[in-house]
Amino acid sequence: MSVLLTDKLAQIREDRHDLPVLQNMLRFIIRRLLITIPTILVVITITWGLIRLAPGNFYISEKAIPPAIEKNIRLKYGLDKPWYDQYGHTIWNIVRHFDFGTSLKYEGQSVNSIIARSLPVSATVGILAYLLALIVGIIAGSIAALKPNSKRDYASMALAMLGISIPNFVLGPILILIFSLTLYWFPPSRWNGFPSRNVVLPVLTLSGLYMAYIARLTRAGMLEVLRSDYIRTARAKGLSEMQVVIRHALRGGLMPVVSYTGPALAFLVTGTVVVERIFVLPGLGSYFIQASLNRDEPLILGIVAFVAITLLMMNLLVDVAYAYLDPRIRY
Amino acid sequence: MKAYQRGSIPGVYLKELIAAVAIAWFVFGTISCRVTATTGDFYGSTIPPKQNILRYVNGDEPGSLDPPISTGQPEARIYMALYQGLIDYDPRTLQAIPALAERWEINNDSSEFVFHLRHNAVWSNRDPITAHDFVYSVRRGVSPALASQNSYLAFYINYAEAYFRKAVFAKDSKTNQFVLEKDVADTAPAAGSAANESTTTDIGSEYESGVVGPESLQGPDVKATGGPDTAFHQLMHSPARLTLPGDEAARNELLAKTPKLQAVLAGTQFVPVSAEDVGVEAIDDYTVRISLSQPAPYFLGLLGHQLFRLAPRSIVEKYGDQWTQPEHIVTCGPFKMKAWIPYSELVVERDPLYWDAANVHLDEIHFFVSQDNPTSLNLYKVGEADAVLNHAVPNAWLQVIRPKKDYMDGAEASIAFININVTKPPMNDIRVRRAFNMAIDKVSYATSRLVTKPLTAFTPEGIFVGYPQPKGDSFDPEQARKLLGEAGFPVTKQGNGFQCKGFPVGEVEYIFNTNSSNRAMAEYMQAQWKQNLGITVPLRSMEFKTFLPLRNKLEFKGFAVGLWSADYMDPFTFLGLFSTPDGSNGSGWFDPKYVAMLNEANLTLNPQKRYELLAKAEKYMLDNQPVIPIETFAVNWLKKPYVKGMYPNAASLYPWKFVYIERDSSKWDYGVPSLSDK
Repeated sequence: MSVLLTDKLAQIREDRHDLPVLQNMLRFIIRRLLITIPTILVVITITWGLIRLAPGNFYISEKAIPPAIEKNIRLKYGLDKPWYDQYGHTIWNIVRHFDFGTSLKYEGQSVNSIIARSLPVSATVGILAYLLALIVGIIAGSIAALKPNSKRDYASMALAMLGISIPNFVLGPILILIFSLTLYWFPPSRWNGFPSRNVVLPVLTLSGLYMAYIARLTRAGMLEVLRSDYIRTARAKGLSEMQVVIRHALRGGLMPVVSYTGPALAFLVTGTVVVERIFVLPGLGSYFIQASLNRDEPLILGIVAFVAITLLMMNLLVDVAYAYLDPRIRY
Repeated sequence: MKAYQRGSIPGVYLKELIAAVAIAWFVFGTISCRVTATTGDFYGSTIPPKQNILRYVNGDEPGSLDPPISTGQPEARIYMALYQGLIDYDPRTLQAIPALAERWEINNDSSEFVFHLRHNAVWSNRDPITAHDFVYSVRRGVSPALASQNSYLAFYINYAEAYFRKAVFAKDSKTNQFVLEKDVADTAPAAGSAANESTTTDIGSEYESGVVGPESLQGPDVKATGGPDTAFHQLMHSPARLTLPGDEAARNELLAKTPKLQAVLAGTQFVPVSAEDVGVEAIDDYTVRISLSQPAPYFLGLLGHQLFRLAPRSIVEKYGDQWTQPEHIVTCGPFKMKAWIPYSELVVERDPLYWDAANVHLDEIHFFVSQDNPTSLNLYKVGEADAVLNHAVPNAWLQVIRPKKDYMDGAEASIAFININVTKPPMNDIRVRRAFNMAIDKVSYATSRLVTKPLTAFTPEGIFVGYPQPKGDSFDPEQARKLLGEAGFPVTKQGNGFQCKGFPVGEVEYIFNTNSSNRAMAEYMQAQWKQNLGITVPLRSMEFKTFLPLRNKLEFKGFAVGLWSADYMDPFTFLGLFSTPDGSNGSGWFDPKYVAMLNEANLTLNPQKRYELLAKAEKYMLDNQPVIPIETFAVNWLKKPYVKGMYPNAASLYPWKFVYIERDSSKWDYGVPSLSDK
């Protein structure tokens, strides 16, 4: 998506290259932000519809309740009104006050407060995993790319392949088995704030796949850039290999990594269902899966809207970062 | 390209290979060491926590801390720490023991209860707890605005259901007299025999679910409990008033159908049933009287339920649905809220103001959230948790965990069965239903499940002492095939097995909500029917919330898995399932004769005679085979040997004040603590 947009905007830029670059960029950002609003509303509407189409409801449980009780519950939550009333009410509260209402399962807790307290947990684990993945991935990928087909290239790429192939619901329990149940180094689950020993295993589990992917992307990007003319120029100028790699090669070589890690960061920050579930982390992902199973409509809508917004913002950031990393791209 | 020039690959990677083997050896070596270390008496670490703290893996994140609201077990356990009711459960037998009420009197037909409250009980904000708090809590629990899913448990109380349904009384405008139920009873026969039935059913289904029998059933031999005969008390003991739907449209429809009723109601005005009409009365500040609309010998045991635990009026009225938030909450149990980290843990600490605080042993309880059994057991194994919730040990782990001395095993008041939709052919034929029941070898099934017991009746095996539990049909494939033949679906021999060509397989299926044990059960049943009847019933699994409406509204054909656990320790909590056509009745079988048999039993004063009548009703139900009973569950959890005062009772309810941490290892529990000795 970002590549397509970039092409399109390149076209626009060529037509009106008299405008200052910064102004163009600002215009682009504002336009993208404006598109966000209807997109979010569409996302909410579709989610709302899907919840309504799903069988079951939030109050149904193993012990069926007499019709009289069901009637009063529906009355209490306004479910007796026609669907368009309920939909309109929901959307109006969101548009007007950005209020998603109160959770149906977690009585008395507003959706906004649940998101506000679970986001930091998801974000802490997500950002740590992201940083770890970036650092290890870029270093491993660069090392591999600098000496292609060497032993260390094969070793790091084999590890990366392993990282991509092992899903986190396998990696997590393996790490728990080794580092928790066997070595007793880290607790097997539960959240204890940051920093604490509880953070280690979830972060490792979460970063595995991204680390591997980033390593491979870096290697591919770097290999291509290292063969390009401007690197030869840099070398010809007599720069040290270190300077060539860090100042010139990495900037170009990281382009594919950037377009990948933008949305990846959004996913990492907004919680990952599997890892949060395995390690019992009070993050957005845990709430999201539980809300879906509970048919907790306000909570589902709130989390979906929040994730959608984050994702759109990250995509925007990626496009902006592109312009910074590649001097040839202008908006 | 380069790789080829580098010569033989094995030579190049020899070092790495050695390193990899070394790492693997180290890792798996240590794992196997640890495994040997844990093959001792207990599963994992047995080092008691440094402080007097119990860390309990409690399952799901609690939904609400408002006692009447939630229906789940995780919440029920937290409520038991934070709130108290008139009675509590004995930690072993679950019989009623004094809590807020020091003592009580029950009249001889169990329809009126007087409780004497202790004078030294206070809320966590130091306000005294009085009889008015209890009255308020019950009225709130059955109020239509709260819409509690538990409210049906209080429908035994006079006019509680009418209040919940927003019903109205009819009052004569001139004489100011209320129209009574018996006035209407006179009109019913006059409306003709066919209309008679429909009238009573209409009224019955609209105002009383089956659990609540006709009012004013008390005979002349019934003696009242002590206490003054207040105006309210007289009202409770005068003939029952007629209640009608509060909704005008529904009421007019009913009146249109029964002209006689309309005639009786001419010139009356309708008065809404109010909270003050519900049969709970504060005789004085420390005495409560509860009047039921029918005898309910099991009612005392119900009073420990969260619906009857006390909520603080002033706080509830001040903060609305926010009152349970940690900054507002006021509690009355042995423990009070210390911290709540949502989706992680809820910490309660001993309340020094609790009337029996001297006998509360634990300083704190940490209720951990964990939805995953392996996760819960991991926490337990490494010693981060001291006990785990019931059913936390997966079947596949039993081989390892069951021999351990900290494994908790015992009979459980819950059963698994298969609902049969009796409203659709071919399952509307009782012979077909019996054939499907008799074709299942339940004994082998229970053996394969390791911890459960085979069941042919509908009440759990070995729970209700003195209950003469009837036996249903046992495994008899020969007879099953014969019955199926009689029903018009002859079973013929084919090779080593059987086939039943005429059976409409397309008209049946077996639905269940997806989880591993339900799947194993479904596959076993399918195999049994295939093997013994030559019928392959298709299986269909679905998510829980998809499954429930299908089953509850009878929108399935054939079979649907069913589970039931006791609300209170009486066979009626199981048998009552089929006393209404709706609700949890997942088979569509409803027989007025059965309801009459249950009512007769509940009106019987002699407990043993009552049990016999209940057993007779159960037998009648089993003969009609609306369900296929499968197994009685067993509790299945772990607690560290140093956790004492916590027992594997039949309902997995733990009155927390009896629990303590024993540091002297000679006094530890080795094996399951006895449920009987004191």
